[in-house]
Amino acid sequence: MKVEGTRSYAAPREQVWEVLNDPAEMAGLMPGVESFELLDETHWRAKVKVPLGLGSMRMSIDFEKADSRPPEHARLQAKGKGVGAIMSMETEFDLSEDGAGTAMRWQADVRILGQVASMGQRVIQPIVNQQVESVLGALDRRVSAKAAAAGADAGGPPSPG
Amino acid sequence: MTTVAPDQVEAPQKGFAGQSIPRKEDKRLVQGQGVFFDDVKRHGMGYVHFVRSPYAHAGIVSIDVSAAEAVEGVYGTLIGEEVAAQTDPFFEMSTPPGSEIRDYALAVGKVRFAGEPVAAVVAETRELARDAAELVEVEYEPLEPVLDAVAAAEPGAPILHDEAGSNVVWSGTFEWGDFDEALAEADRVLRIDRLYFHRFASTPLECAGALVEYDRGTAQWTLHCNHQMPGIGIVWMAPALRVGTDKLRIVTQDIGGGFGNKITLHPYFVALCLLARKLNRPVQWTEWRTDQHTANTHGNERTFLDVEVPVRSDGTMLGFKVRAFDDAGAFPRYEPLGCIIWAQVTPGCYRWRHVKVDFTQTCTNKSPTAPNRGYSRMQQLWFTERVIDVVAHELGLDPVEVRKRNYIRSDEMPYETPNGCVYDSGDYARCLDIALDLVGYDKLEERRKDAESRGKLLGLGIGSTLDSGTNNFGQSKLLNPELQFSGNNEVATVRLDIFGEIVVTLGTTPQGQSHETVAAQVVADLLGVTPDDVHVRAGHDSYWNSHAGFSGTYASQFAVTGLEAVKGATLALADQIRRLAAVILGADGPDDIELEEGMAKRRDMPEAALPFMACGAIINVNNAGLPPELDDVTLNCRYVYRPPFQVPDTERKFGNLTLTYATQIHACVVEVDPETGVYEIVDYAAVDDCGTRIHPQIVEGQVHGATAHALGAATFETFPYDDDGTLLASNFYDYHVPHALDMPPLKTGSIESPSPFNSLGTKGMGEGGGAGIHAVCAALQDALRPVGSPIVTESHNPYHRVWELISDPAASRAGVEVSER
Repeated sequence: MKVEGTRSYAAPREQVWEVLNDPAEMAGLMPGVESFELLDETHWRAKVKVPLGLGSMRMSIDFEKADSRPPEHARLQAKGKGVGAIMSMETEFDLSEDGAGTAMRWQADVRILGQVASMGQRVIQPIVNQQVESVLGALDRRVSAKAAAAGADAGGPPSPG
Repeated sequence: MTTVAPDQVEAPQKGFAGQSIPRKEDKRLVQGQGVFFDDVKRHGMGYVHFVRSPYAHAGIVSIDVSAAEAVEGVYGTLIGEEVAAQTDPFFEMSTPPGSEIRDYALAVGKVRFAGEPVAAVVAETRELARDAAELVEVEYEPLEPVLDAVAAAEPGAPILHDEAGSNVVWSGTFEWGDFDEALAEADRVLRIDRLYFHRFASTPLECAGALVEYDRGTAQWTLHCNHQMPGIGIVWMAPALRVGTDKLRIVTQDIGGGFGNKITLHPYFVALCLLARKLNRPVQWTEWRTDQHTANTHGNERTFLDVEVPVRSDGTMLGFKVRAFDDAGAFPRYEPLGCIIWAQVTPGCYRWRHVKVDFTQTCTNKSPTAPNRGYSRMQQLWFTERVIDVVAHELGLDPVEVRKRNYIRSDEMPYETPNGCVYDSGDYARCLDIALDLVGYDKLEERRKDAESRGKLLGLGIGSTLDSGTNNFGQSKLLNPELQFSGNNEVATVRLDIFGEIVVTLGTTPQGQSHETVAAQVVADLLGVTPDDVHVRAGHDSYWNSHAGFSGTYASQFAVTGLEAVKGATLALADQIRRLAAVILGADGPDDIELEEGMAKRRDMPEAALPFMACGAIINVNNAGLPPELDDVTLNCRYVYRPPFQVPDTERKFGNLTLTYATQIHACVVEVDPETGVYEIVDYAAVDDCGTRIHPQIVEGQVHGATAHALGAATFETFPYDDDGTLLASNFYDYHVPHALDMPPLKTGSIESPSPFNSLGTKGMGEGGGAGIHAVCAALQDALRPVGSPIVTESHNPYHRVWELISDPAASRAGVEVSER
């Protein structure tokens, strides 16, 4: 299942990159994260509770930073295991300067196998969409907060354009 | 052949055969007193849950069961490595490369379909076993799956079974008549690029399962189970377990539906046997519904490519040529028999004589296939029915007329098909007339107009099929001449006990086919008693000398094999009773004794009568002083019926493959909403001819069931997989089985063309030939003529598919052409 999109931020590219590139920051953005563990520079693990129809599914997800060209491109691989489901995800994002702001092009390829995939086809697509929206929404807020903080540090709000 | 309709039968015959008496089974079943395998409990038994692969194709890197075993209440586990060490692979029926496949009870080294069992966990409750199974850590190395039978045969396709080196299970060419000659004689040739018969299966109410006990003292396993073909089941299991068949006792009683997918349970049962032995306790496994859908067997999916049909301008069909690809799924568990079983009905109901079939069966990363009601013949019959309807459609002829022109006629019966099968009796044209009459064929054009006035498209379709029953297992030699199977058999014992009880045992494993009732009818008539006096033991028990090599309930054969065995044993018992009575009553000989009203009477002096109770008592407990000529009289008679088969000719792939051919002609009227593709069956008739009917109501029940099954497959039931090989219909929410409200108003009719090949004139008829699928396809094609005349090329036509046909009729016609010769 492939999802993709574009997003723009009223913040410099480096700031967006910082948020995206910090696993702990990202973990904070993901919905349903119950624990987070940094294994090394490029590997980390999260235990996540994913809403699924009437119930929810706990998954242990291993992340690997597969490719990174700061501050413009990163690729992340994730493999998750839960009861009756195996998830794999590859996600990429490209940041480009858009005036004073930043444009982000992103895509994710999510594959789910196992009984959950078999029984939950009708609900998986909306759940993936919902999760993605929720991450992106949190990212928006985090970047704005960071930008605001940076602006405050600099003694004023970022000037538009 | 004489063919009679029931209304022409003279006054009701003497006896119980032919009457719809109350079913003997129903009293216990409607009171909830049936005994299914799941009702059997044992002290200390453990419950089994199978850990299944989420991948369609993957290497197994490691399996760690330690966390599961550490859970309190978990009794133990089993993994593939243990299975590989303790058992041999199941025997394969194919020739190379298929024969090289190594199939074990659990996955060894790699998994080949999503849902394949990789480990088993046993615990004190079913729920605990299921929870603990989640703790089994399996590390996989995913591999690319192949999910299409045609693609699987192509070079470069991912290989499922490395040891075979190819996905091809079996391939071969069947050539009968002279197809090139038929082309030369034809006025026109119809070509169809592709026809596709989809994957679906049966969903018995009772899932598969067993309670397995191991007796360490005798080294014998007892399986209380719902296997529907125990005779062959133990032939698969015993060599794998490295024991004799005597070490496997199979017991069944009530079974909640079979339809074929309880034939290939041997991998699960072998795993259960190993667990019972390893853990030294009884183990019980009841399949979950999701597992039944995902990993029990599915029906064969078949793709027909490059179809060529030479025809005359009047619609006379001369023959056909086709390349067929059959999908065996991940393991050929009953396969490659599907590569020959279709040939029982090679020409369908038609007289075409020139046939060339290239048949290839491949493995794919999907659930294994196995017999499913109408096994392998249904696919071939759908093919012949599609072809005749496309011929009629493209030549602008009436499908009814084209059928009648091509049907084998009743005066040609018995009819030898191009490959040597012998159609025993039947009158297809007459059945068709009855079906058409039932759906008001004479008013069809008015009904079309009426539907049109309501914005609907109305169409009529016919499904003409045969239910070939009583296999000649020698057909397996046409696939692999080395196989040592041929003929068929079934066994019954009939005994007269101390107080005059008449006790019958069968080798069969009924799953709703009412064998107790029907056997009792036959016995009652031969012994001069009532069915209430006859006690037919429920179920099967291989421990008590009550089964033969092919025992079981499958392939539409009880009415012939089972009843002939019952009849043989009963006649032997009747003869012994007469001989005994003749001595006791001082008659001249056994011929002077007749059996009537539960007594053996002298014909010349009916008041000189010996009640059966006395006969039973004399032989069993009061036998001093009997004369030597009664030494062999035991009043306990066993009879094995063997149908009159020859070994087929393996060079020509020629011979009689089944004994009887029941006919089903269905007519279906649909109304389609051209805006949405939604359709409704507004009229439906099923006409059945299964020869002499012992119990017409039971026959009727089978007709209803087979019709529902076919209509489900036509519209709702399909097993689609996504690109990763995950099944997308693993529960009843996504896999809709028709219920009462989905059924059309069903009209039934019948005629009786007794089979000349068995003494009762009966024919097996439990499977039907999928006539509903064919009739719906034909009706849709007929209805859609006004909207671009699309051709129905697939067996499964859900509403969205019909909408596609309406939206883009040219796409469906792209692969169909008629050329002038």
